[in-house]
Amino acid sequence: MNQALTPAHAAEYLYREAHLLDRQRFDEWVDLYTSDAVYWIPAWKSEHQPTENPETELSLVYCASRNALVDRVWRLSSNLSVASMPLARTAHAVSNVIVEQAGDDTMDLRSSWTSHVYNPKYKSQHVYFGSYEHRLQRVDEGWKIARKKITLMNDFIPTVLDLYMV
Amino acid sequence: MSKKDIASLVDDRPEDGVFRLHRSVFSDPEIFEMEMKYIFERNWVFLGLDSQVPHPHDYMTTTVGRHPVVVMRDGEGNLNAFINSCPHKGARLCHLAQGNRKIHVCQYHSWSFDSAGRIRGLKFKDDGQYSPAFDNDSHDLAALPRFEVYRGFMFGALSADVLPLSEYLGEARTFIDIAVDTSPQGLELVPGVVGFTFEGNWKLQLENCSDQYHFTSTHPSYLKVLDRRAEKGWEGTVRANVRGRGGRKAMQFPADGLEHIAGGSTSFEHGHNLNWNRRTVNDSHPLFERAEELKERFGEARRDWMFNTRNLTLFPNVQVAENASSQLRIIRPISVDRTEMLTYCIAPVGESAAARAQRIRQYEDFFNPSGLATPDDTINYEDCQDGHLNPVSPWLQGHARGMMLAGPDGDPFIDRLGVKALSSVIGGVELGDETIFHTYYRSWRALLQAGQRADEAAARSQPAPASARLVETVR
Repeated sequence: MNQALTPAHAAEYLYREAHLLDRQRFDEWVDLYTSDAVYWIPAWKSEHQPTENPETELSLVYCASRNALVDRVWRLSSNLSVASMPLARTAHAVSNVIVEQAGDDTMDLRSSWTSHVYNPKYKSQHVYFGSYEHRLQRVDEGWKIARKKITLMNDFIPTVLDLYMV
Repeated sequence: MSKKDIASLVDDRPEDGVFRLHRSVFSDPEIFEMEMKYIFERNWVFLGLDSQVPHPHDYMTTTVGRHPVVVMRDGEGNLNAFINSCPHKGARLCHLAQGNRKIHVCQYHSWSFDSAGRIRGLKFKDDGQYSPAFDNDSHDLAALPRFEVYRGFMFGALSADVLPLSEYLGEARTFIDIAVDTSPQGLELVPGVVGFTFEGNWKLQLENCSDQYHFTSTHPSYLKVLDRRAEKGWEGTVRANVRGRGGRKAMQFPADGLEHIAGGSTSFEHGHNLNWNRRTVNDSHPLFERAEELKERFGEARRDWMFNTRNLTLFPNVQVAENASSQLRIIRPISVDRTEMLTYCIAPVGESAAARAQRIRQYEDFFNPSGLATPDDTINYEDCQDGHLNPVSPWLQGHARGMMLAGPDGDPFIDRLGVKALSSVIGGVELGDETIFHTYYRSWRALLQAGQRADEAAARSQPAPASARLVETVR
């Protein structure tokens, strides 16, 4: 679909990303990202303010390439991480999708999300929620994610947060 | 008052080569109550760094044991710590993690206080409704009975009956010095705090920081990621200061008869300890840009220690972990099986932008609950907590490794710093000493027993309540 994205197509792109995470099809999920993609979850520096500059302030996750995401996805299914065995079950809901900017080659989107996370080992559950900012970029084979910023509103983390939970 | 026999829970017989803990140390709610009362509320507790409140009228909120505390810098620059509770009806006075205010007004009835804790306004006080007895009371904020700062590390105590802070920290101070001296301007916290909980006892965190034995078994996924990055030479991934298996061989130490020593562990009085690993002075460490300057200022031995990985625990609630990056951890016990952690990236003031960014990336990679290592630790704590309730095998076997090595002497690396340890162990990569935990539980036992004795003495010196006397008479 190497053509201009309609707002409806763009929103569906976000739903498909969430779907791949929920189905734990992590290799396909990583393939949505450009090789120089930035994936960023800021930390918070006060009650009201998330961190703004990843070079001088702390983030929860800051991955500056698809390679870094591949590392993380590899770990999830490596059987070498007790925090990932068993994997939690998740259900994402993405909503309130707003097109901030639409050009021929890029599109910027904002949305809200919740993710219900169920830990089968302890039969415990938690809801993470926040907002997404996506930059989609046109590439030869279609559209990919060049940048994703996740603002996590409830950042006091119950034991574990991993990429597929948010 | 508890009559629990604390000594019976710590099977401490060094002459027989035995040190065992009873699992209830981690799972008995009555013991947790005693820990709060006798350790966290009658002893020194870490509050924060003074660089968190750098300016006049800055404040930061924290807790000591179960009680809200606020640290304030007054208009003259003096630091004080108060119970964060209005003396009028007890409402929380300061609501944010940090801020700057000359006057703090209680939102409930508008009593107001300056940044030195003095009452500045008591609403409608002069209309004749208060008795002289009330006028004679202080209406200032209640200051913590003890508050002291060592090299920027702020500590408070809810009891006046504690050692001077310098004596309490003792020889462990040298390792605060080594961390602080990495910059002429001292240490600061990188903006951005990461908090998390785990469903386990607080002492699981205390132990894990000192536990070298777990590293290769708990973190193989992290080590393998490092190997993958090295193999692939991947751009855009983090270059780690901790090495995978391949990298470890590259650590070439001078052939001085000690080149086989990979690290060690050292215990101090009052429950403090350090475990450490040798590192060469190399450019995977953000401090490398200052290597020569630090050598000139502090000498080669001390400079080399700045590059070693160091996990310092100051009992009972703070850890400075300098290994994959540099972390300040504050442990806040919530209940016997739930703990809150506040974690910060701690860094030398004035390092270059490149070094700071490298430190932050290494930090996120390893230390965050959203990173590649810490979740594997905390899940292990939760799995331990599960088993700590079982009555069939009440004695743990996790405090015995190293019993054949531990002693007060024999660590030339510590000797180079002129530090006198209670006990030290050094060895190769397989060391994994567990005697390092003993100082925790000997101090733990001493504080709980001292608390019990003090409460018993207080009860004896007080007449029994009338109802109890009545029962005695009837009998």
